[in-house]
Amino acid sequence: MVHAGSMYVIQKTERTVVELAIENGVTGLGETWGTPDAYALAQRFAKDWLGKDALDRYALRELLGKTSYDNRFGRNGLAAVAGLDLAAWDATARSLKMSLAELIGARRRESVDVVSTLPAAILPKAVTRKELTDHLDVLANTKLVVEFALEQVRKSGFRSFKLKSAAYSPEWDWKLLNELREAMPKARIRFDPNANYGAATATELCRRLDALGLEFFEDPTGELEGIARLKAAVKTPVATNMWVVNDEHLVPAIRRRAVDVVLGDLFMWGGIDAWRRMARVSHAYGLKPALHSVYETGIATIANLHLASALPEVEYPNDSGLHFLSSDVLVEPQVVKDGAMQLPSGHGLGVTLDRAKLEKLAIESTDICSA
Amino acid sequence: MAAPVAIAHTHVHSLRLASGAEALVARVLAADGTAGFGFTLNLDAGAARDMAAWDALARCKGVALHALLGGSYRNKIHCLRDELPAIAADWTALRKDILEGRHEILRIDPFAWGSVEMVQTIAAVASAFDLSIALLAPNAHPWEIQYCAALAATLKGDDTRIVVRSAPPFASIPVSEEKGIGIDWSIESSFSKIQWQS
Repeated sequence: MVHAGSMYVIQKTERTVVELAIENGVTGLGETWGTPDAYALAQRFAKDWLGKDALDRYALRELLGKTSYDNRFGRNGLAAVAGLDLAAWDATARSLKMSLAELIGARRRESVDVVSTLPAAILPKAVTRKELTDHLDVLANTKLVVEFALEQVRKSGFRSFKLKSAAYSPEWDWKLLNELREAMPKARIRFDPNANYGAATATELCRRLDALGLEFFEDPTGELEGIARLKAAVKTPVATNMWVVNDEHLVPAIRRRAVDVVLGDLFMWGGIDAWRRMARVSHAYGLKPALHSVYETGIATIANLHLASALPEVEYPNDSGLHFLSSDVLVEPQVVKDGAMQLPSGHGLGVTLDRAKLEKLAIESTDICSA
Repeated sequence: MAAPVAIAHTHVHSLRLASGAEALVARVLAADGTAGFGFTLNLDAGAARDMAAWDALARCKGVALHALLGGSYRNKIHCLRDELPAIAADWTALRKDILEGRHEILRIDPFAWGSVEMVQTIAAVASAFDLSIALLAPNAHPWEIQYCAALAATLKGDDTRIVVRSAPPFASIPVSEEKGIGIDWSIESSFSKIQWQS
């Protein structure tokens, strides 16, 4: 499948998969971005980890945190920590014979609604930006996206959708969202132009879209100040996963009343504990935390399910792109049924790495172990 | 959020301490038969039950409390004398005061706030707003200090501390690595004499 949005037109995704073997023989799984920087940093941090107590996740974060808390490596540093941190949480939960959700706080629900991403346009292959905008100039092409959405309803019972806008044409978005609403009157629909509309255009468009009763506008425009002003001008909730993405963004967002929903990405926030703290702080000040994702493998997708199950602050469905990937790295197939995914039973994440699949997909692999 | 443990039985006893003060001591029996204990010198047994449930879970899993809560940020906690009042257990008021910048350090009596979860939530907010946390052991009883130490281990922040009203019995207390919440119940001889219901 081709994924088109305002930031990219892609046909593949690359991930860093972490396997953390600890002294008691237990192995934990983690995942993070597959960018060269995130992969290189994950390797480097993993070397620093050798010989430390993997059950003490805070201490590990502190150890790695000289880089991540100082933000020396920016988002890549936090993302690299998050991949290792997830593996440590999984290993700990497996060692304690608890599910990851229980270790995070509680296993409150077995099923979590997930969101089907809708590409900005349905394209036969990854195209140039020029080819994309040529396609978007033909407003009749919106029907392809509506058909795609209805196919997701038929196949997997999705009730929640995220339209990735190319932020090229407000008229395209206006027409398409109206058609989606008409085709799926009861669906939750979130609209995400990734802050690529200017403030005035975004505000004008979102004011018109208020009538459609969308779930929320996700990053309708840029910067905290921009979305704060837009939020004050519309009735629909406003979410972000671009402007409130780590600890130091949270308090300014609370003070400025900039957003309603913090759509937190496990990798951007730097792991389980950081995400859990974000959820608690957000909830304390009336913001709603929700789980962001793009195209994770089953590992991070399942981690997000455990977070949603564990934390009562999470009310919105989880973003998920797993069902669009042509292959996964887990033994157990992860299915979306009636618009929801089930938490696996078993300890930790409750899933098993499929080595054959991993080896087939692997671009590069590194073993880091003590002598 | 209580401890994620299946509870078979809970019982609360009143206990006379060596000092003459009265404590409420709770025992939680987990479904697998593991017993956990908690206490408070306040009148509300809720904090004691919550503590006992976490103790039961940690004992059942064979780990210290901090392993269940994410780990330990430190291996010892400073104890200081501090006579300033603890913040009233009013979450609405505290959130507002924090937002308005009225605190630099949050003096929290964990027994008054009632649960591990509540302390963790306050600590998360304190961390976001770059505030320090001081956990108050209101009567400076060793059990109180030990419980504060177990909690303080898990709180992010450079200068998390335990405060008492009088001269502290020690300058710092190590974070317990014993199974459970790390309280030495044998300090009070009356504890072993409690007749727990089966």
